Amino acid sequence: MLRLRDVSVPLGDFRLKEISLHVKDGEYMVLLGPTGTGKTVLLETIAGMHRIKSGSIFIHDRDATRLPPEKRNLGVVYQDYALFPHLTVRKNIAFGLQMKGERGSRIVEAVERMADFLDIGGILNRRPANLSGGERQRVALARALVLEPYVLLLDEPLSALDRSTRDRLRRELKMIHRKLGVTIVHITHDLTEAFFLADHLAVMKDGSILQQGIPENVLKRPANRVVAELLGIENLIAGTIGENDGYVTPLGPLDIPIVPSASMKSPTGFCLTIPGWCVEVLPGKERAQYAWMGNMTVTGINNTEGQVELELVHTSGEQLRTFLSRREAAALPVSLEKGREVPVAIQREGVHWVPSTDHPSSDG
Amino acid sequence: MSNFKVVMWGLGAVLLLIVVVPLLRMILAADPTVLKAAVTDSEVIGSILLTLRCALWATLVCALFGIPLAYMLARWHFPGKGLVQGVIDLPVMIPHTAAGIALLMVYGRAFLVGKAFASIGLSFVGTEAGISLAMAFVSLPFLVNAAREGFLSFDPRLERVARTLGASPWKAFFRVSMSLSWRSILSGGIMMWARGISEFGAVIVLAYHPMTAPVLIWERFESYGLKYARPVAVLLILLCLIIFAVLRGIAAKRKEA
Repeated sequence: MLRLRDVSVPLGDFRLKEISLHVKDGEYMVLLGPTGTGKTVLLETIAGMHRIKSGSIFIHDRDATRLPPEKRNLGVVYQDYALFPHLTVRKNIAFGLQMKGERGSRIVEAVERMADFLDIGGILNRRPANLSGGERQRVALARALVLEPYVLLLDEPLSALDRSTRDRLRRELKMIHRKLGVTIVHITHDLTEAFFLADHLAVMKDGSILQQGIPENVLKRPANRVVAELLGIENLIAGTIGENDGYVTPLGPLDIPIVPSASMKSPTGFCLTIPGWCVEVLPGKERAQYAWMGNMTVTGINNTEGQVELELVHTSGEQLRTFLSRREAAALPVSLEKGREVPVAIQREGVHWVPSTDHPSSDG
Repeated sequence: MSNFKVVMWGLGAVLLLIVVVPLLRMILAADPTVLKAAVTDSEVIGSILLTLRCALWATLVCALFGIPLAYMLARWHFPGKGLVQGVIDLPVMIPHTAAGIALLMVYGRAFLVGKAFASIGLSFVGTEAGISLAMAFVSLPFLVNAAREGFLSFDPRLERVARTLGASPWKAFFRVSMSLSWRSILSGGIMMWARGISEFGAVIVLAYHPMTAPVLIWERFESYGLKYARPVAVLLILLCLIIFAVLRGIAAKRKEA
C-alpha cells in the first residue's frame, strides 16, 4: 500500500502541489500527464529523492516521509533504464542484493531465478551497452524486482522503445503484474499505455493531480476541460446557459439531460466533451437516440494505419473530428471527399458537460 | 585529402612541433658521458626522487580533499558555486612566484597558520612538506576539474537508482560515482602530478632547499652553465616521459575495460 497525503515539493521554479494518492496492494496505478508536468518529480519524491515541504508518505503502513531512499524498499525503473554501465547484467541485478547484505549462493540463486522469469538468462554476462532496448528494460525490471519491493515505480519505461517492442513489453508488464502481484505506479504520457495497464488512473498537470479514479470512469466523466484534453477527447465545444436555463452551443441546442450548476453559469461557462466515437456520419439510428443531428461539411480526410479521421465543420464554424474504421468508411453509401456535406449525429452516450475550470476531483 | 583536412593538420602540426622539437633537440644533444655522470650523481638522483615523491604526496593529499569538492561542484547547487569554481581555477592564472610568496605569508614560521603547524612539528619552509604544499597549490585545478568532469560525465540518476537499491550515500558514491569517474580522476591525477613535478616558481620561494629537480637545474645553470644543467633536465624529462606513458596506458585500459 502506498498513500500520499497533501504532499508538496518545491523544486526551483516548479512545485508539486498537495498531491494525494492511494495505491492499494497489488494495484496498477498509472499517472498520466504531458511532458514537464512533474510526473518524474512525483515518482522520485515517492522514492525519497526530494525533500517534502509538507504532507506525508506512507509505504506499507509505515510513515516513510523522512526515510532515505535505501530504507523505503521501492524499485525504480527509469525511462532509459539507468543500468550501471560498468557492471554486467548479472552484477546489475545482484547490486541491490549485495547492498542489502546478501552473500554468495543466495545472490546467485535469486539472480538466476529472476533472469529465468524475465527470460534474460542468456545475457547475464553482457554489459548494458551491448543490449537492445527491450533487453535493457527487462534487466532494469529484474534489478528492481529481485528485491521484492513494496512498490515498483516505473518512469515512462516504454517510451524509448520502437512501436512493436513497446506493444510486446506493454503486454509483458501486464503479465509481470498479474504473476507477481506487485504494486506498480507507472507514469506515462501515452493514453493507450495508460488505459491498457491501469487499474487506477490519475491525471496530472502542472504539478497537480486533476482527477483520479477507475480509468473507464475518468474517461466517461472527465472533471474539467483540461482533463478532457489530456485524455485525448477529440471534440470540446464551449457552451453557456441561455435564457430559461437552455444550453447554448454553436451547434444549437443539445438534447442532454443535465442540471445547470453554478459553475456552468459562471463567466467561464462550461464545455461539452464529445469523444470522436460519439460522432456518427450518415447516422442510421432513430432521432431519439441522438443528442444532436444536422449537416456538416467534410474539410479533411486523414488516413492512419487502422482508420480514417474525418474533419467536419458546421455552418456556425464549429469543428468536429470523428474516426471510421477502414471497413466502415468503405461501406458508406456515399464517397467521402472534401467539401461534401453529410448528415452527422452526436450520440447521447459518452457526451458530457464539464466545467471549464480545473478543480481536482476524484471518484474514489 | 581535402584542403580542409590539409589546413587543419598543418596548423595542428605547428603546435606539436613547438613542443616536440626543443625536447628532442635537448635529448639528442646531450653528451652521453655527461649524461652517464648525471645518472650516477647522487645529488641529481636524490633531487629527481624528491621531486617525484613531493608531487605524488601533493596529488594524493589533494585527491583526498579535491574529489569531494569536485563531486559537490558537479552534483549540488549551492550559493557561491560559481565563486568556488573560480577559486579552484585561480592558481592557473596567478604567477607562481606570487603564489609562493602568498603561501609563505600564511605557512611561514612568522605567521599564524605556520606557527600552528610548527607547534605540531610540521614546518613548510625549506621542507618536503613545503615543496608538496607549493606543488599542490599550483596544480590542484588539474585534479579537481578532471574529477568534476568525470562526475558530470554520467547520469546522476545512476546514483539515485543505487540508493533505491539499498545503497547508502557512501556506498552509492564509491560503488557507482567513483567507479564511473575513476578514469577521469586518474587522468587528472596524472596531470596534477606532472604539473607538480615541473613547478619551479612557488617551490623556490617556499623551499629552495631541499632542491627539487627544476631548482637543481636552475642552480646548475646559474653556477656552471648550460652544459651541466642539461643532463639533469634530460634525465628528468626521460623519466617523466616513461612514467606518464605507463600511467596513461593504465588510464586508457581502464576506459576500454
